[in-house]
Amino acid sequence: MSLIQANLSIYQNNLNIPQDLKVQPLALVGYSGLDIVNNAVHKSIWETFNNRTEKAPILYKIISNTHKFPVIKPKRNSYDWYIPKGILKRNWLNKYLQEVPAIVVIFYDLDWKDSLWNEKMIECASKVQSMRAAMEGRDTRILVVLIQNQLPIPEDPLAAERAIALCSSCELNSQSLYVLPHGQHLLGYTIRLETAFFDFCQNYYHNRVKIVKMHKEHLNKNSHQYLYVRHQFKMGFLNELKQDLHSAHKHYTLAYNNLLEIRIVDTNALEVRTVAGFINYKICKLLFALSLPRDAISQFKGHIDKFKNRLGFQELVFEHYAWLSKQYEIFGDIFDEAVKQGLPAVQIQHPGIYYQQAAQYAISRKDASHNLCSKIIAYPHPDPLEGLERMEFFGQRPWRPGKVSAEPPDPSTEANGIEAIQYLENQINHSSIIISLYGSAIAQYKIYKCPRIRRHLVLQMADECYNSKDFGKALTLLTHMLSDYREEKWYCIISNILEKAVRCAYLTANIQDYMQLSFEVLGSSVELSIEDKRRIYENLNRILKKQIPYGDPKLPHDVLQTAIILWQPVFGGDISIINLDMSQIVSCIEVKTRFVKPSFEIDQKVSLEVFVRSTCLFPLTFAQISVQVNTVNISSEFAVNDLADTSLTFHSKEVKRFFIEFEPDPNDINNEIEIESIKISIGDPAECSATLKFSGQATKPEHPELQHFKRSQHEVDFDNIKVVSKASIVPRHSKIMVKFEHAPPALVGECYEIYVSIINQELCGIKDLRVEILPEQDCNEVEFSCVPEFGTVKLPLILPTATTLSRSSKLTTSLFLRASKAEIKNIFVKITYRVDSDKPVISIKNETIVLPVVQPFEVTTRFLSGMMQTIHKFYAGENFGVMALIRCMSPWPICIEETSIEFITPVKSVEKDLQSIIAGSTISKEEVATELFLAVSDKQSDHNLAIGEYKVTWKRENGMSTITQVTLHGYHCDWIPLNLKVITPPYGLVRTPVTIEYHLLNQSSHLIQLDIGMEASEAFMFSGYRQTTVSVLPFSTKIFQYNLYPLLAGTVALPRLVLSIPENSTEGPALRQDQLNQLIERTIPFYIFVMPQLKGNPKLPDIIQKTNIVLKPLN
Amino acid sequence: MAVCAAIVGKDNSPKFFCCINPDEELTFQYKVLSSLDIIEEKLNPASKSASEMRELYLGQLYSLETCKIYGYVTNTKIKFIIVVDSTNMALRDNEIRSMFRKIHSEYADMVSNPFYIPGEPITSKSFDSSIKNIITGTV
Repeated sequence: MSLIQANLSIYQNNLNIPQDLKVQPLALVGYSGLDIVNNAVHKSIWETFNNRTEKAPILYKIISNTHKFPVIKPKRNSYDWYIPKGILKRNWLNKYLQEVPAIVVIFYDLDWKDSLWNEKMIECASKVQSMRAAMEGRDTRILVVLIQNQLPIPEDPLAAERAIALCSSCELNSQSLYVLPHGQHLLGYTIRLETAFFDFCQNYYHNRVKIVKMHKEHLNKNSHQYLYVRHQFKMGFLNELKQDLHSAHKHYTLAYNNLLEIRIVDTNALEVRTVAGFINYKICKLLFALSLPRDAISQFKGHIDKFKNRLGFQELVFEHYAWLSKQYEIFGDIFDEAVKQGLPAVQIQHPGIYYQQAAQYAISRKDASHNLCSKIIAYPHPDPLEGLERMEFFGQRPWRPGKVSAEPPDPSTEANGIEAIQYLENQINHSSIIISLYGSAIAQYKIYKCPRIRRHLVLQMADECYNSKDFGKALTLLTHMLSDYREEKWYCIISNILEKAVRCAYLTANIQDYMQLSFEVLGSSVELSIEDKRRIYENLNRILKKQIPYGDPKLPHDVLQTAIILWQPVFGGDISIINLDMSQIVSCIEVKTRFVKPSFEIDQKVSLEVFVRSTCLFPLTFAQISVQVNTVNISSEFAVNDLADTSLTFHSKEVKRFFIEFEPDPNDINNEIEIESIKISIGDPAECSATLKFSGQATKPEHPELQHFKRSQHEVDFDNIKVVSKASIVPRHSKIMVKFEHAPPALVGECYEIYVSIINQELCGIKDLRVEILPEQDCNEVEFSCVPEFGTVKLPLILPTATTLSRSSKLTTSLFLRASKAEIKNIFVKITYRVDSDKPVISIKNETIVLPVVQPFEVTTRFLSGMMQTIHKFYAGENFGVMALIRCMSPWPICIEETSIEFITPVKSVEKDLQSIIAGSTISKEEVATELFLAVSDKQSDHNLAIGEYKVTWKRENGMSTITQVTLHGYHCDWIPLNLKVITPPYGLVRTPVTIEYHLLNQSSHLIQLDIGMEASEAFMFSGYRQTTVSVLPFSTKIFQYNLYPLLAGTVALPRLVLSIPENSTEGPALRQDQLNQLIERTIPFYIFVMPQLKGNPKLPDIIQKTNIVLKPLN
Repeated sequence: MAVCAAIVGKDNSPKFFCCINPDEELTFQYKVLSSLDIIEEKLNPASKSASEMRELYLGQLYSLETCKIYGYVTNTKIKFIIVVDSTNMALRDNEIRSMFRKIHSEYADMVSNPFYIPGEPITSKSFDSSIKNIITGTV
């Protein structure tokens, strides 16, 4: 038996690429004289050569003194009578990889200054000689490396002399001697040595290629076709050793083409195909290495096309499929390796495709072997496969070794051999090969984003598991794939999978999966024959009665037997309730739930509807339907109790509606409750029962926009029922009445009072009453208070009220607020209380007060000159009037209680005693109250002056007084050196003289010179300077007095005073003419009112003394 | 002449499937479903070809030993798939393209039918026979 086992493993192994072919070919360098076990220096040298990251493609091998090199075959001068026995020898590759080095390096410890130089030189020479003897006949080169302790000295005459001596005694040329100083720079020296070695290796392999090439002229196409292939293959391989990949590829391709020329008959089919596989492997691998993946793929495709139909022995056709499968697998491996090296693969061209194909051929192999080998029950004797492990050539039959295909085969040996191979084939576990190939393919398809192809492969894998009677694994794979197919609704495929899965579940006596799958099978969308469905339906009923279900009649008898044995213990013990999660499954039972309302008040019952539809062709009877409802804290289950009018038996396509009502938990107020799941139990709990758990969530309709096209003819339109799985519990609706009494709009700054009155209209008293006031978010412009004084209060403000209120009684409280901005405000009032009954539920009433806030009045200011003209500029030292205007804007009349002004320096009041003249007046909307203050500014100012604070104390007609303070803003203040003052009487009388004084005030520290003149006027005669020049000294006043004698009555123009700067003024331009003109304009009245002469002898005003005036001309 | 035609909705669920040989329907369903992988990848907005996609015909999606699969996607992401036997060399790309156009116009007519519920699988017998005529080349 062990013999058969050994043959079996060799038989299987023969399909693989041999290890020698798989390894990367490396130039072989033999090392002699290194004692790496005992000598530390030698060991370190050996390790430096071997353990480097960037190593030349060289394999180092220690050659011991006793090493035997392979025997050299005698040279052949003529091929005339030579007939090759096969294509590729098994041992040739190994010979060049492991046995025959390209160069041999002899290491020897010798310093130039060694005291025993001569003796050691002779020893070294003898070593070289013995090595040369061992290598007799080969052109392997011998090199000597001297390991030295001392670093070499440049231009050392002793070294040069001794080197020549050593070379001559060893019969080496000088290029074959190297020195390796063992010291600090070992790594550098080894790199240099390695480069030199590699050059020699390349040379050696180059020469080998030449030698092989020379054979070609001796060959002829008739008898040496095999040699054409062999020689080209050898050249290809030697070039690979030389690391010349391009030449290697060329020779391998030639070898492949030569191979194709060989006529294939049954006897050599295996050999040609095997060698073709090897050469193809090499070519593809090289093409990937040369970054030509497309060429590699097309080479492989061509290879398959050429050999696909060359079956060989009909009796051994499985061998052909095995080879094809292996070819695909090997190519997949090479491709995968190339991808790992960085080759980008794409979705439609990646290793997985080849693994998949390999699996397909592995299935063909399995089928073929089932057909051909199932009859073979005994291994033939004597062993026709004897010597299988010692075959000289690749791919030959042991019973026909080395025979040329032309020789006619011996029929009985041939038949025996075939029988032996068929026997071996029958021992192979094909399913495991197929499954592992599928596994590789699945992994690749997953990488290249082909989820559906991957799923299909998994199903094929499951089929194979099923075929190999691994029903459990098949079931797992099938059920895993089901959910993905469900998503895309390929019911034809789903039905197919379900059929298999149910069968697997049956065969493994997996009651849970069996029931779950059965419910799915019974659904209307699964396209299974009605007989199958009926059988499954009956089986479900049998399980619920603790009876073993019937198997599929299509199953073979022995499989059914095993299944029944498995089922027996299932019902033996106590079966707990079987829980089936139906949330992911489209089963024959569909469930929808909805809350009747989106929100329920706490004193109402929560009610929800459950709709159940059965699409099963056969009637189903349930034991109970219940709903699991989750709240924030707990989850509770409610069963359908009221079953008086609806039975729980469902006929095909029947829809039933159930109601569930329950009391909400007061803890859930303002929280959401959710239907977690619906549970339907089936079967008698005493015997065997199952609980089907459905999700309470709505499944997403795939085409919401198309939903309304669906219409069902039944009384309940099940398809269009919208699942409402969430509802909220809200507080009870309050029955108290709240009134707000106030007089809007509120005025900015006033203390505004709102009366809140609450009337209890509940059926009983209330307690724990609480009134909360909440402003809008981020509202800083309103202050709240419970009393008419404002301080800092915490929000929400709780109004002081009684906490209880009996039925139909009223409660009043007040809220005070003060707004500092005119806009519309929302004030939220929240009233919370409990009903004073046996069920003290909390009730909440929310009210909003919308309160417009307006300004009570608007204060504007005007500024007037001494002549009561509006001015836009002040002059230092000159008086001006401040006129405050209060315009009422409130719809309610406003009482002004008091006004006052406080000037801000440098502005000060001219009057000593300021009195409000509008205090006590009441203004209505759009009315204006005004008053005037006289002020003066001391200093000039470049920017606008703040004149003062104007304070208005006001109230509504019956309200509380409020103080509003406004800052009055003026203009900037100029300064000129001259000031002018006029003193005139308030009126004159015709033909009665009046006196006018013009005061010129110099406010500067400079002298002011002016021309002063008085224009004539026909209304007056006057006396005084008509025209003169005047000098006003610094900080002094000059007074000009004129006596006027009015001639006309009425408002008459005064004689005009003209001030001008003298033309030859020596002073600087401290004063300009336009300033002078303006000064006159704002300080001097133009007109005076002259009254007609009194009848009789009038009494003159006091200011004009009755004097005798002598008129004399002015000089 | 093609051996199988399928219409797949935008959610990748089958809307219509027809096979010349009804026994092979399941295997063709698997093949058509698998070809959706490649369609999805081609429609993937990340790939640059999708951004400038105005051509509805996607060309050959992939070829297996036994058959070649062609795809066509409407603007509303309805996928049409045709499976051709790989031994059939007579069918050129242009003919496949015109086959798809005919199927598209048949489908447009179907959707306009007031008795058809959009989104449901197409069960109309006349639709089935006209698609069969298109793929067998008798029209």
